[in-house]
Amino acid sequence: MKRLLSSIRDGNGFDIVLVAFPLGFLFLMAGLPLLYNILMSFQEVDMFSLGTFLRPFVGFKNYQDLFSQPETWPILGNTAIFVTGSIAGQFLIGFGLALFFWVNFPGASWLRGLFLVSWVMPGLVVGAIWNWILSGDFGVLNFMLRETGIISGNIFWRSDPNYSLYAVIIANIWLGTAFNMILLSVGLASIPGDLYEAAELDGANAWQRFWTITLPMMRSTIGAIVSLGLIFTLQQFDLFAAITSGGPNNSSNVTQYWAWDLSFRQYDFAKGATISVIMIVFVMFASVVYVRSTRHEVRG
Amino acid sequence: MTKQIELSGVNKYYGAFHALKNIELSIEKGSFVALVGPSGCGKSTLLRSLAGLESISTGDLKIAGELMNNVPPRKRDIAMVFQSYALYPHMTVEQNLTYSLRIRGVPKAEAKKAAEEVAATTGLSQLLGRYPRELSGGQRQRVAMSRAIIRHPKAFLFDEPLSNLDAALRVHMRKEIRTLHDRLGATSVYVTHDQIEAMTMADHVVVMKDGVIEQQGAPLELYDRPANKFVAGFIGSPAMNFVPAVVGEDGRSLAVDVGERQTITLDRQLQPGRRVTAGLRPEHLHFVEPGQGVFRLPVGIVESTGSATYITTATATEVTIVETARRPVKTGDIIDVSIRPADVHVFDGETGLRV
Repeated sequence: MKRLLSSIRDGNGFDIVLVAFPLGFLFLMAGLPLLYNILMSFQEVDMFSLGTFLRPFVGFKNYQDLFSQPETWPILGNTAIFVTGSIAGQFLIGFGLALFFWVNFPGASWLRGLFLVSWVMPGLVVGAIWNWILSGDFGVLNFMLRETGIISGNIFWRSDPNYSLYAVIIANIWLGTAFNMILLSVGLASIPGDLYEAAELDGANAWQRFWTITLPMMRSTIGAIVSLGLIFTLQQFDLFAAITSGGPNNSSNVTQYWAWDLSFRQYDFAKGATISVIMIVFVMFASVVYVRSTRHEVRG
Repeated sequence: MTKQIELSGVNKYYGAFHALKNIELSIEKGSFVALVGPSGCGKSTLLRSLAGLESISTGDLKIAGELMNNVPPRKRDIAMVFQSYALYPHMTVEQNLTYSLRIRGVPKAEAKKAAEEVAATTGLSQLLGRYPRELSGGQRQRVAMSRAIIRHPKAFLFDEPLSNLDAALRVHMRKEIRTLHDRLGATSVYVTHDQIEAMTMADHVVVMKDGVIEQQGAPLELYDRPANKFVAGFIGSPAMNFVPAVVGEDGRSLAVDVGERQTITLDRQLQPGRRVTAGLRPEHLHFVEPGQGVFRLPVGIVESTGSATYITTATATEVTIVETARRPVKTGDIIDVSIRPADVHVFDGETGLRV
């Protein structure tokens, strides 16, 4: 007993206690719900069996049902478009801005900080702002496109099935660009300046320096950003709730919004869980990429 | 001899700060020039100006006879070895070496062959496939040099390349760099704060302070005839002793004040009564029999390195003496020391210029 106590105070026991707390917390708050979610995707869940734990086991029936529904593939497609569109937009604009502020003109760091305003704003607020901007009748975006002659008639961004998904993508790009820019700025700042001087003396022009020094040195940062982007865009819910509610007619619906809709609006918890499990697979993949890219830091 | 690098009337300002003041320097083709001085003296700024990494405010900079003031670094055909080596961490040694060739579009096979040739001369052949992070400090240093050599540039610039190495390796690399320089017939400019590096490696030493060239010349010329007190104190280790002195009535003797007045004779005629500073190198002060020396000095601190003993006197103006005969000297002893008249340096008491 005394040895056990002293081990907890000063020894292996203490280490085990330290590790056990966060592990216990993670298991309780993240692990159990995750497992329960997976379990639920293999059960038959209805309003009457909600309160019980052990429900009838149905195997892969929920998955089969899900993929026989006509809206499943379009929604998965929407999700793919949403994720790639958002990440591409956020990354390219974010990288452009990071390079722009890297030039370090007077006030650059101050301005860069200001860009974070978009990122700290709640998604619902951003959604409300973009509702005004995207509004079909009096929206600023339509006004600008019309005045510059790009479009002749108003686009009803939120209610036209051809545009509704892109309306959310535009808002999401605006929301996530600043975060991309900050992480990329940190990556750029960590490249030693003398590498550029050495490359310059070796005869490389600005373009060659970007391709042979900047990009390869940013590889781990870019890997981290893209996988974080995948995780964040698959979590993006607020904007859908605020701008299109997945409509019209599922034209802007994505898996994360659909899972919520199935579970909490249609009370089809089994299908909701099934979609979540499919998403977990993708997020796990992104997490592995993220962890690997942050581990393989290339530093002099 | 042709001039490879010429600087005339070069000034550099950072806002109000005058970093380089009226620099006049010409470097012969094939020579090894060391820029030496305390930190902040402008030696690195001067080197970076040669490379084009800094622009000069006024004056002319010519490389191989061509005016280079507004030519970007990549078109100057100059290679630089950085203090941090600045190796490309994401490239293997071979890729580091061939970078400049690949940028210029040299065919792959040719670049590979060039890398192998250079690696053979610098002992990197076994390491071509490694990344910089897998190399030791000395190996990285060699890669940095090889990267410069492979280009056959008009001049090599070294920015304190040995300061990150340990003492033994530094002495070794000193010789290696000099040997390489001779074999390539290159023109090298070498920045260092270590006067021993400058003295041992260079044909021509440029001593700088506060953006001004204090003196330039062959290493021994600087040692034998320093132009002023600063150069005299900077060149030579341990540093020269400076003692206040007054020229005697006859103009051929010096009343030296090291706590008590002692007189030394000169080998030249000076204006009687002039206030000067006498410069006495520690290695020129030698022991003599009691009563025969020009100085009688109490011993303060005795430091022995094995090959030499550094004796610091317990006088108001401390005097350091280097002694190599392993004489049994201890703190509190009174010693008799002499110096040859030709070895006495005299500097003006106010301007510090050589008299």
